[in-house]
Amino acid sequence: MIRDIIIYGDVMNRQLIRNFSIIAHIDHGKSTLADRILELTNAVSKREAKAQILDSMDIERERGITIKLNTASLKYNYKGEEYDLNLIDTPGHVDFTYEVSRSLAACEGALLVVDAAQGIEAQTLANLYLAMENDLVIIPVINKIDLPNADIPKVKKELMDLIGFREDEIILTSAKTGEGIKELVDAIVERIPYPKGDDKAPLQALIFDSVFDSYRGVVISVRIVNGKVKVGDTIKMMETNATYLVVEITINTPKEVKKQELVAGEVGFIFASIKDISDVKVGDTITLANNPASNKLPGYKPMKSMVFCGVFPIESSKFEDLRDALGKLKLNDASLVFEPETSSALGFGFRCGFLGLLHMDIIKERITREFNIDLITTAPSVVYEVVLTNKEVLMVDSPSKLPDKSKISEIREPYIKTNIFTPSEYIGPIMELCQNKRGIYINMDYIDPTRVNIHYELPLSEIVYDFFDKLKSYTKGYASFDYEITGYKASDLVKMDILLNGEVIDALSVIVHKDFAYNRGKAVVEKLREVIPRQMFEVPIQAALGNHVIARSTIKALRKDVLAKCYGGDITRKRKLLEKQKEGKKKMKQIGSVELPQEAFMSVLSMDDE
Amino acid sequence: MDNNIKAVYIHIPFCKHICAYCDFCKMYYNEDLVDKYLDALGQEIKNNYKDDKIETIYIGGGSPSSLNMNQLDKLFTILSIIDTSSLKEFTFEMNVKEITKEKLIFLKEHLVNRISIGIETINDKFLSLIERSHTKKEVYDKVMLTKNYFTNINVDFMYGFPNETLEDVKNDLDFFKELNVNHISIYSLILEEHTKLYINKVKPLDDEVESNMYFYIIDYLQKLKYNHYEISNFARAGYESSHNLIYWNNDHYYGFGLSASGYINDIRYSNTRSINNYLEGHYCIEKEIMTKEITMENEMILGLRKIKGISKQDFYRRYHINVNEVFNIDELLEKGLLEEKDGFIFIPLDKLYLSNSILVNFIKIG
Repeated sequence: MIRDIIIYGDVMNRQLIRNFSIIAHIDHGKSTLADRILELTNAVSKREAKAQILDSMDIERERGITIKLNTASLKYNYKGEEYDLNLIDTPGHVDFTYEVSRSLAACEGALLVVDAAQGIEAQTLANLYLAMENDLVIIPVINKIDLPNADIPKVKKELMDLIGFREDEIILTSAKTGEGIKELVDAIVERIPYPKGDDKAPLQALIFDSVFDSYRGVVISVRIVNGKVKVGDTIKMMETNATYLVVEITINTPKEVKKQELVAGEVGFIFASIKDISDVKVGDTITLANNPASNKLPGYKPMKSMVFCGVFPIESSKFEDLRDALGKLKLNDASLVFEPETSSALGFGFRCGFLGLLHMDIIKERITREFNIDLITTAPSVVYEVVLTNKEVLMVDSPSKLPDKSKISEIREPYIKTNIFTPSEYIGPIMELCQNKRGIYINMDYIDPTRVNIHYELPLSEIVYDFFDKLKSYTKGYASFDYEITGYKASDLVKMDILLNGEVIDALSVIVHKDFAYNRGKAVVEKLREVIPRQMFEVPIQAALGNHVIARSTIKALRKDVLAKCYGGDITRKRKLLEKQKEGKKKMKQIGSVELPQEAFMSVLSMDDE
Repeated sequence: MDNNIKAVYIHIPFCKHICAYCDFCKMYYNEDLVDKYLDALGQEIKNNYKDDKIETIYIGGGSPSSLNMNQLDKLFTILSIIDTSSLKEFTFEMNVKEITKEKLIFLKEHLVNRISIGIETINDKFLSLIERSHTKKEVYDKVMLTKNYFTNINVDFMYGFPNETLEDVKNDLDFFKELNVNHISIYSLILEEHTKLYINKVKPLDDEVESNMYFYIIDYLQKLKYNHYEISNFARAGYESSHNLIYWNNDHYYGFGLSASGYINDIRYSNTRSINNYLEGHYCIEKEIMTKEITMENEMILGLRKIKGISKQDFYRRYHINVNEVFNIDELLEKGLLEEKDGFIFIPLDKLYLSNSILVNFIKIG
């Protein structure tokens, strides 16, 4: 394909640059709003506007969320002057706080987009605080004002009471009808400060993202803080000391457009034929090899992985492919950590650490979809602090790594503090839910007479599975949830093993609170009985603490799996039936003589209330 | 491989009444439509039949017996282009209600030598469920009438009706015993999508109960000297269906008529299920070339339906490779999912009702 080669007019005047991102809750219309901004600035014509241009990954479009960072550079004529507006996209989910902080560090301002019917959500607030800590100028926007159930005065009041905006600062938009978009873009120019920086100083460019392009190597997203970089320069990564020749510089308008250079204040993409993905670290500073800057930019504090699970290829021959896939994903996702793990049940795989459950789901889905590797993942686990009798402290991220009971003097588990935003009528059900999850009530803030922020202290392990889903169903989707880690606390925890056909399946072991072990055991064996398909023989299931069996159930033997009638015309059909059956089998993991579906590995987190 | 075509299947999709469980390609009988259909069928046969010496013919449906005498005459005139100099078996499917002396004589005069009758059950409860209306006496009389002209008769037996008990199965079997025909096919009721039973959300019988019935029936029929030679088929010595064995032996055959499928020149094809397309001469809708790999897989999938199983020697003769080298037979033998005896590989009787779980091991995809 021949790419358009346009030499974009280089901006000489930094005062005409605005770098901004959009903070919004999932579904509050960020991507559609971004589309309207692109249309207004004629970056794309309405005709060619595919819905939600910035969300380019399939999963992003399907889930309606933004995962990877995306940047668009737009031209906007304001009072006779042509401005460069750089929109840097941010993910909206709490799991991606780290990515949000990366994009915010490349900006001077942010739009806070709130749904006119839903009001502010907990996660939005978390990201907003992050922006405020970065000293960004915030433009509050109430979107979806066209909705029949929009309550603009109420949402305005929230923005004023909760964050302290003035009423006249708030911009009303409808990304659907286009109302208010021009006013918004004008406000971006008027209110967001132009980037500071010195063109003459040695180059300091912040790497805020990178992806691997199979044709051109690593693509680096940068924000030039000081100095300039041009095609032909030899650049140096300050942390890894790797040097590369810049072969191409581009920006997205959102079509890819070539540039000769990037100067202080600008954002864009650098191509330098980088094949070794480990040379490029998000958060690192790029400088020039022949005129290096004396110090690195602050970079980011990578978020600590909070949730761990074992990731195993169903076909054991795909182990190396899986390693390769994880390596490529890590390139623009430093928060993903992994190390090889061996399970006697599942073979060779990786113990992977994630920021949260959504992050975990997305990585799993990307491996399956983009790298075509069918996976079995074990139930997510948190990291336990295990104090041994000899006072040594171990960090344990997998139940199978828990030392023998006799060697343990104490197990501590991570706790979180919640922000649960909810209409007040759901306070009762939410408290009940938190109580069931071993929660400790802290207090409650009334935002207004109808909305409340509930604070609980909860073990992280209790929310890694279904807390979020439960919360949504208990509150008909009205509550939103965010949390911060508060630290470790000692708990009376034990390892519960699951036995199939009398054999312990290590990948099914789980760490549970002793008081909940019996109910958990009962729920787990019951769930396993439901999700494991009948096999050609009977399979006993047991849950045990050490040698002590606390619950049992049995999967009855399969009695019928036959196509009795098979006329001439049925041969193709019969084959298709068997092929379908085979496909299903391929998604199962054979452990000993039992075939387990993916759900079996998640069912160890089942609660007895289901 | 033996690519000679020795068999013909012909589909007659018309029925005077549609049974509640049937998911075969069928439609209500309409005199005018039948005439047009026979014209199209004749054309399809003319276009494709290549003068092969045919050993078995099977006319199925629908209800081929729903055709009136003129239409039967027209159908058999069409078939007269088929070379029957080597004909061994010619089956015609009949509905109990549609069996008449006149039709039987006509069929016999036109080389038919095997009649297949859909009885299913004589239990009133289940007959009304599947919307069939024959009575026990009617069935008996019609079968006896047929016996006056034919010795090779098959009857279909159905079990596994909702809430059916082993006692019900036994009652039906006792009646089938009295009929004393030479071939019996047994089927469990399957609630197929797009059938009245499925739409009415009829609750299927428990698998365990059904499986027990299956083994009960096998036992019952074997005591009556019926040889269990295929998952669903029983025959007195010498009355095994040659035509059906063509399918299970993975041999080539013509399929003519609406929704029919066939296997010629290593291509498996299916005809359209749309009567309008068929009448316009758009017969075939799907063709798939059978590679050697797929053919060998089909050999196993089909061949293991036979109780005797697959001859290792025949397999080698057909494919010039040992079956053990193509498939992981040893592992299945070791697990007891297959057995071997006298050079034949077969599914052990007690695993027969789980045969799909075993056959799936022969499918290689992806």
